Amino acid sequence: MKTRLPEHGPLETPRFWRTLEERIETPEAQAAAHDEFLPGAGPGAFDDVHGLPVQSGFSRRDFLGLVSATAALAATVACDRKGQGTVVPYTKRPVEVVPGVANYYASATHEGRRVYPVLVKTREGRPIHLTGNDEHPGVKGKTSPRTLADVLRLYDPDRLRAPKAEGRTTSWTEVEGQLHGVLRSSKSSGKAVLLISPAVASPSRKALLADFKAALPTLEHLAYEPAAGDAAEEAAKASFGQAVDIQPRLAKAKVILSLGADFLNGEDPEALGAWGAQRRLKSAKDSINRLWVLEGPLTLTGTNADVRVPVSPSRLGAVAFALAKELAAKGVALPAGTDLSAASSQDAVPAKAWANLVKDLQHAGRNAVVLCGAQMPAEAHQAAHLLNTMLGSEAVATRAAEPLATVKDLEAAVTAMAAGHYAAAIFWDVNPAFTFPKAQAWKQALAKVPFRAWIGQVEDETSAQCQVLLPESHWLESWGDFSTPGAAVLQQPTVGTLYDTRQGEDILLGALKALGASASDSYHAYLKARWQKSLPATTSFEQALHDGLVKVEDKASAPSFKAASVAAAAKKAAVSRAGGLELVLVPGFATHDGRHANNSWLQETPDPISKMTWDNPVAVSVQDAQALGIQEGDWVNLSLGDTTLRLPAVLQPGQAKGVLTLALGYGRSTGGVAKGVGANAFPLMSLDPASANLVQGVRLAKAGGRKELSRTQSHHRMEGRDIVRSLTMDEFEHNPKGHHHMPELVTLYEDQKFPDHKWGMVIDLAACTGCSACVVACQSENNVPVVGPEQVARGREMHWIRIDRYYEGELENPKVVHQPMLCQHCDSAPCENVCPVNATNHSPDGLNQMAYNRCVGTRYCANNCPYKVRRFNFLEYTAYKTEPETLVNNPEVTVRPRGVMEKCSFCVQRIQDVKIRAKGEGRSIFDGEVTTACMAGCPSDAIVFGDLKDPKSKVAQLVAASRAYKVLEELGAKPAITYLADLKNPPVSAASIEGGSHAH
Amino acid sequence: MADTPRKPIVERATALLAGPFLLGQRALSVVFAPGQDAPAEAPAPAVSRLTITPPEHAIKRRG
Amino acid sequence: MRTDAAQAGAIPEALLEPALTVGTVTPGSLDDQVLAFPETKPPRQWYVGLAITLTAMFIGLGFIGYTFVKGIGAWGNTSPVFWAFDIINFVFWVGIGHAGTLISAILFLFRKRWRNAIARFAEAMTIFAVICAVIFPLIHVGRPWLAYWLFPYPNQRALWTNFRSPLLWDVFAVNTYFSVSLMFWYLGLIPDIASMRDRTTSKLRKTIYTILALGWRGAATHWQHYEKAYLLLAGLATGLVLSVHSVVSFDFATSVVPGWHMTIFPPYFVAGAIFAGFAMVVMVLVVVRETMQLKNLITMRHLDVMNKVILAMSCIMGYSYMMEGFTAWYSMNEFLHHGFMNIITGTYGWAGWVTISCNILIPQLLWFKKARASYFWMILVAVGVTIGMWFERFVIIVISLHQDFLPSAWRIYKPTMTDFGVLLGTFGIFFTLVLLFARVLPVIATTEVKAILPDAQPSHHGDDHHA
Repeated sequence: MKTRLPEHGPLETPRFWRTLEERIETPEAQAAAHDEFLPGAGPGAFDDVHGLPVQSGFSRRDFLGLVSATAALAATVACDRKGQGTVVPYTKRPVEVVPGVANYYASATHEGRRVYPVLVKTREGRPIHLTGNDEHPGVKGKTSPRTLADVLRLYDPDRLRAPKAEGRTTSWTEVEGQLHGVLRSSKSSGKAVLLISPAVASPSRKALLADFKAALPTLEHLAYEPAAGDAAEEAAKASFGQAVDIQPRLAKAKVILSLGADFLNGEDPEALGAWGAQRRLKSAKDSINRLWVLEGPLTLTGTNADVRVPVSPSRLGAVAFALAKELAAKGVALPAGTDLSAASSQDAVPAKAWANLVKDLQHAGRNAVVLCGAQMPAEAHQAAHLLNTMLGSEAVATRAAEPLATVKDLEAAVTAMAAGHYAAAIFWDVNPAFTFPKAQAWKQALAKVPFRAWIGQVEDETSAQCQVLLPESHWLESWGDFSTPGAAVLQQPTVGTLYDTRQGEDILLGALKALGASASDSYHAYLKARWQKSLPATTSFEQALHDGLVKVEDKASAPSFKAASVAAAAKKAAVSRAGGLELVLVPGFATHDGRHANNSWLQETPDPISKMTWDNPVAVSVQDAQALGIQEGDWVNLSLGDTTLRLPAVLQPGQAKGVLTLALGYGRSTGGVAKGVGANAFPLMSLDPASANLVQGVRLAKAGGRKELSRTQSHHRMEGRDIVRSLTMDEFEHNPKGHHHMPELVTLYEDQKFPDHKWGMVIDLAACTGCSACVVACQSENNVPVVGPEQVARGREMHWIRIDRYYEGELENPKVVHQPMLCQHCDSAPCENVCPVNATNHSPDGLNQMAYNRCVGTRYCANNCPYKVRRFNFLEYTAYKTEPETLVNNPEVTVRPRGVMEKCSFCVQRIQDVKIRAKGEGRSIFDGEVTTACMAGCPSDAIVFGDLKDPKSKVAQLVAASRAYKVLEELGAKPAITYLADLKNPPVSAASIEGGSHAH
Repeated sequence: MADTPRKPIVERATALLAGPFLLGQRALSVVFAPGQDAPAEAPAPAVSRLTITPPEHAIKRRG
Repeated sequence: MRTDAAQAGAIPEALLEPALTVGTVTPGSLDDQVLAFPETKPPRQWYVGLAITLTAMFIGLGFIGYTFVKGIGAWGNTSPVFWAFDIINFVFWVGIGHAGTLISAILFLFRKRWRNAIARFAEAMTIFAVICAVIFPLIHVGRPWLAYWLFPYPNQRALWTNFRSPLLWDVFAVNTYFSVSLMFWYLGLIPDIASMRDRTTSKLRKTIYTILALGWRGAATHWQHYEKAYLLLAGLATGLVLSVHSVVSFDFATSVVPGWHMTIFPPYFVAGAIFAGFAMVVMVLVVVRETMQLKNLITMRHLDVMNKVILAMSCIMGYSYMMEGFTAWYSMNEFLHHGFMNIITGTYGWAGWVTISCNILIPQLLWFKKARASYFWMILVAVGVTIGMWFERFVIIVISLHQDFLPSAWRIYKPTMTDFGVLLGTFGIFFTLVLLFARVLPVIATTEVKAILPDAQPSHHGDDHHA
């Protein structure tokens, strides 16, 4: 047995005393001195917790025994050997990085000539989310879906991590040594060196290339943008005598005529911003623009048209010149020396619509603009240039630009290569082996070039033909600058290079030095020196980096229009007639020219029109499909000359008869994601730059069998249901509610109480174009997993926000509406009642929240959701991911495992962030302070989020608008999202226009 | 305090669980002590973690 | 009452209940006939049958294992058809169980003495069907290792279940149903097990039967307690016959899905369950009475009566289907209307017509006495009803879900191999259990049948013979 210490001995007067009371021996002090523990720390505290008799207490022995047992069991539990990494604190914490706090950097990127100034959010040093730069006067905080998704490319596991020579990984010293040696010998021998890069939108890069050319006079540089539209380049050369960049300025446009121009497809945040501003009407008295669209394929712009007429692209030139002729006849002055004698009258547009169009353009005058799609033939572009000049349009900015190499220039380079003209070829961020239409000729010619170097990020078709591969940094790891109207934009790295990579400019600087020229040590120094020379005194380079830009006056003057070019174009337009089927090759919504094909976010973002993912089916008009007996998903053979592609077909309502549409940028043969997705359409591209993307005489035949399409929407009609409301301006003025009557909603349940906030959202369908930037923004913000084509085909895509697209009316030219659909955060949510484990419930600020940890996955909630916005992890979509893929995850959002339901959270992490900040500053939340990712990403500001309890908030005011309605309101779920009815602005006499579509 | 009735059940449970576990762990650590002439098993390839470094010369907007 | 009346001699012969057994059956011969089975060596057909059902069972278990490894994505379930074969099979099997409880409990309370001969088998089928049914709620959840969270158990995180969810009601309803059915069945087995204990010579069997018999000696007090407990459990089970499938129907009826949200569902589901259950019982009993030589105990009259029940239920089903159509039309609800049209003209219209043909049209054959007395026709009807009732659940679940409110979310559902494999597996489990049951336990409640033997009834002709 154990020896026990004797209890406290008899009380004696203490020799030492702790308090005065103890010294003078008050009874309380005596009692206190007797007790071992001070009040609250004694066994009594245990007793309250454990309910043990006060006298018995918990002995120290027992306590220690329990502690050891706890420790031992805790150790057992901790013996989990699942190979979790070691967590170590920073030994030396980087100054910039505070764990848990996001850093934001201003930077920029470009796609072709279009520049995207962005704000990059980084967490623990990792860039994780992009938005537009809010300081930029043009983009105003918005950017394009492809730019938003480009952060994923930074963490592409396929990225080349170190230089390669002849297929083996090696050092920079070796590859640069080889490159420099070849450059030096070409310089001395006078042999030509070919450098192909993308469009040069950066002044500093342009200067560096000029320096390079000076150091190596035999350099031949081509700026190659395979999907930019060679016809536009050709037309610019004809109309203005030089390359131009044409940007719409929709803020000034009252009447817009699109000749197949898809300016609302999300690529141009500035145009979308201006469009939204003109369409978000508070009352019918507000001014609204009118969009006329004449086009062959159905584009997003076409779906947003007030009047759309399907016209074959080959006839657009003739139609546009006929328009010019008619306007001239009505008294609109032609530029001096214009010869329109070859233009004849047109019959593609119905007479009444035509008369209205002519009247509209004439009335609007300087406030009218004609925009031509890059894929349309050159003569249509020239006609648009003429029309804009005639109208004196202020709604378009035409600027001189760096010329782009067309397919003809590439062909010339191939001929020269084959002739042994070049000693070396350097491919910088381009993939001509994939994009050049004659891939075989390219391969044979390139083999004749003795030295081939490739600078890029992910090995591709071109790198496979090169000896030396120089891994390039992602733009988020690189320096750069761009000039945009209104601002000079800076690009700065937001993270140190992840791998042993360098940016292309640094490679060029190294080459410059090797060639004996004086050069800066780094592109950063080069850039900084250039900027410091030209910076205004009021600002500094550091400030410019902080802002991401320096605002400058837009002084560029438009090049003058060459009237003499019209006659030939009009003549050409008059004779061009489609023979059989004509094929329009458009840049892929997700892939562009193939450079984004390895981006799984983009591959899974549904095409805004066809709702296809992971594929490029050929779109066939309804009439042609009927004639050829083609049904949705049928395999077809598309042939032109000797080239035949086997593709699935989709039926495209609204597409002009005789027109086929096919997206470029698919069918890559390299890349973990890109390989084998779709078919490569570049071989079908024409070698005539004036109509490069428009191919005549294509044959289409059924190939037998049917493909299960990876399509996110398979039913395209609204079935007469009141889901998307659409008003004409006339209806908006007189009867905005139409025949919709809301029945009184009766409920047995008590209404939800919202003591502080009630978050709500308003989506303006008139401003929403369907561009899908919100989808990508949400994917990036909320770690939405990608499931792949097979799972999409099964219907298991995971997007928290989707864009529903419905066709109405006749199939030949339907009315099209778009509706962003996300969790409606219903006050009486049908999903909440039915969850047996309370995994989904309502927050006191109006959020329908998901407790992923609690979800067991009965899927009852999803069945009972009338909007079908809940997404179930049918399989394990995330756990197998490792670095670098996981680095793109937003640490504020849980990654969901298999078997768990998930859905839009109204970006609860952002709400919490703002709440905490406001609390810290001792204030209430400002209206507009909380932004959801979709709202922040929406270029046309169609989405407004805020507190419905605050009557002054923007969202609360919009809820009361006359266009406001809720989807499926009659079910009584009380959704927190209000939609504002779509608006169409057809000409007043539109009801009688035959062929004009949107006059319902 | 000292004469409070002990709770043998607690102690017994403690001894029952912790004792064998701790002893067993000790025993195992003796048997499988590192440095023994166990066949040099190739160490599992370390999970490759990327080093994230902050960008040089960049100026952040906020954060 | 009957006894009194018969003693008074006031009831004409024609109105008297005919004999419930055929030929001469004495308590002794009955024991020899029924209780001897477990003692004999099973025939070859039994082994063949067991091999088939075990194969099916293991195929199903394999696919269930595959589902655990892969996730629910191994099935065809998708958005918006988040429930498909899993819940179809669940409702189907719960329904099959209902006939047993109806026969053993409700008919017991109504003193329908013909039920005594078939009650045991029907009850056993109830237990097995519910076993097949409960598999599905467990395996169909996304994270099956957490399925126990559906039970409200105290935990330190103070997490509680949602009592507003019909799925939770299901948990209680099915659990109660299973435990009461099991108790009821086991209680009824005790006297028979005791008889087998006394008869057997095998030591192993004796030990097992001794344990299972719970010390039954057939004393008068035993019988007194037994009768009371049996009556009470019958009363309890009677409520469950109505409640279980009503609660299952609440899964659908309380939701907002057009085609589910219907007040007719509880009675309609109960009728459907009895319908499907009787069909299954007829199928199995025909085989049992032929292969186990029980024609004298399970008579054509039993089959005739059960066929009449099937016919009656078929008429109720027909009425329910018509009411669905009527509601869709009369409510002027576009969603409901669309849903109903989908059943008869949509992509899955064929399934709707299979349902209507098998459940309404084919059973009308049973109006003919000849059909009710012919194996061929009654098996045809029973198989038809089983298929039809499975498709009825397909119609309710898949057709309603695949096109609900927003057309943008509509999608066609396609089952996978795994779906069919798991369905096959549950049939394997069911028939394996049936076959095992037929070999080790008395398939007929001898004690109850003894009570309806002519000898046991002083009111019957026996009076004269023994007077």
